[in-house]
Amino acid sequence: MEEISIEETRNWLELPQDVMSQIFLKLDMVEILHSVQNVCTLWRIISKDPLLYRSIDLRNQWDVFDSDENDMERMSKEGVERSCGQLVEFSMEHFGTEELLHFMANRSTNLRCLRLAYCYHISDEALMAVTKQLPLLEEVELCHCSFSPAALETFGRFCPHLKSFRVDHQGIRCPLLDCDDEAFAIAKSMPQLRHLHLFGNKMTDNGLRAILDGCPHLESLDLRQCFSVYMGGDLEKKCKDRIKKLKLPNGPTEDYEFVAELDDFESFDADYPSGVSEIDFISEDEYIEFSESSYFSDMDDFHF
Amino acid sequence: MSTKKITLLSSDNELFTVDEEAANQSLTIKHLIEDTEPENGVPLPQVHSKILAKVTEYLIKHANEPDNDAAAKEELKNWDDKFLEKVNHETLFDLILAANYLDIKGLLDLTCQTVADLMNGMSVVEVRKLFNIVNDFTPEDEAEVRKRRKRGTKTIGPSNDQANQSNH
Repeated sequence: MEEISIEETRNWLELPQDVMSQIFLKLDMVEILHSVQNVCTLWRIISKDPLLYRSIDLRNQWDVFDSDENDMERMSKEGVERSCGQLVEFSMEHFGTEELLHFMANRSTNLRCLRLAYCYHISDEALMAVTKQLPLLEEVELCHCSFSPAALETFGRFCPHLKSFRVDHQGIRCPLLDCDDEAFAIAKSMPQLRHLHLFGNKMTDNGLRAILDGCPHLESLDLRQCFSVYMGGDLEKKCKDRIKKLKLPNGPTEDYEFVAELDDFESFDADYPSGVSEIDFISEDEYIEFSESSYFSDMDDFHF
Repeated sequence: MSTKKITLLSSDNELFTVDEEAANQSLTIKHLIEDTEPENGVPLPQVHSKILAKVTEYLIKHANEPDNDAAAKEELKNWDDKFLEKVNHETLFDLILAANYLDIKGLLDLTCQTVADLMNGMSVVEVRKLFNIVNDFTPEDEAEVRKRRKRGTKTIGPSNDQANQSNH
C-alpha cells in the first residue's frame, strides 16, 4: 500500500477559497493590504472580498507604516472602498485627516462604531457633518480630542440607535475650569444611552444629575478623574442604585488604556486672577491628604 | 446521557472509536450516521489516520464544552493552544482540510486562527516562504503595485470626495 507522507510539502493555494477567506478574516485590513494581497494572484483575488473590510482599525499601526502618514491614509481609503459600503467599525488614533473621515462617511452609511482618539486635526464642523451621514451608529468614542458640546449633541440628535458613548479627557483638578456643557449636551440628546464613559470630564454634580435624569437606561458609567463631581447629597446613592457598573471619580486607573496622567495645572498659574485661594492649587498628593482629613467634613452625606 | 459509541474509518483503514456526543461535533459525521447508519464504521476516505487521530483527540476534549464555568473555559483554551503548538505546517494544512470536510466549526476556527497568527506581521517574502508560494505576478502587475504605492507616498491631492463633501 502506498504510504502517505505527512511531511510532504502541501500546496496552500489548493485550500478552498472560503477557507482561505476565513483565515484572512482573522487578519486586520493593514495586514491584508500590506502583504497578503501581494503574495500571489489568487490571494489578491480573495483579498477583494468586501467582508474582509468590515472593520478598519488604524490604532497603533505606526510601526507597520514606518510613520508614513500618507501611505497610511492611502491604504485606509483603499480599505474603505473595498468594503463596498459594508464597513461597520472604524477606529483611528494619533492619525487621520478630515478628508479621510469624509471619505469614509460618504461610503459607509452602515457604520455602527466610530472611535477617534488623539485626532487633533479634525474640526467640529467636519465631525458634525460626518455624524449626520451615519444614522446607524451605536457606539462612539471620542478620546482626548477637542470637540465642542454642540458636536457631541449632534450624535444624540442624528444617531437614534446610540447605545454607548465615550468622551475622555485628561484629568485636571481645577475648580475654575468646571464646566457642565458636555454633560448637559449628553443629558439632553441621548435618552437611549446604555453605557457612558466620561473619564476626566470637568462636569460638577449638576452635570451628573442632569445625566441621570436625561439617560434613564444607563447600565454603566465611568466617572474616573471627574474631580469636580463630589457626589453631594444623595447623588452617590442614586448612582449606585441606578447603575450596575459604576466607576467613581477617584477609582483606580491602572487598567485605563490611555495615559491617565493629570494635567499639570501649575502652568496655569500665570493665567489665574489674583485672589484665588491656595486651595484651588493643591497638587495631587496634597489633595489626597486633604480629602482624607477634613476638606469635605462639612459636606453632608459625603462618603468615600 | 447517550454513551453510544461511533466508529470512524480512516482512508488507510484504521478504526477510531469515540462517543456519539463527541462525533456529533462534526456535522458531516452526524449526517452520515443519520443517513446511512453504517455498520462497519463511518468511512472517511478523505482523512488519513495520522490526521484522524488528531481530530478525534480534539472531538473528545471538546465533547462537553463548559457554558458558564470561566475556569473550565480557560483550561480548554490552554489545551487548544497546546494542541497545535508542536504541529508542523503540513499537519496544520491537513487539519484545516479535515476540519473543513468534516464540518467541525471549532476546529476550523482554531486552525485558521493559528495560520493567521503565523502570518501576522510578516512581509510578503516571508509569507511566500512560509507557505511555499511562488510569486506569479507578471512584471506588469508588479509595476502597478509599485506605481500605486508611489502615488500614495506623495501628498494626497484633491479627489472626487471633496466634490461630494460640498454637496452636504
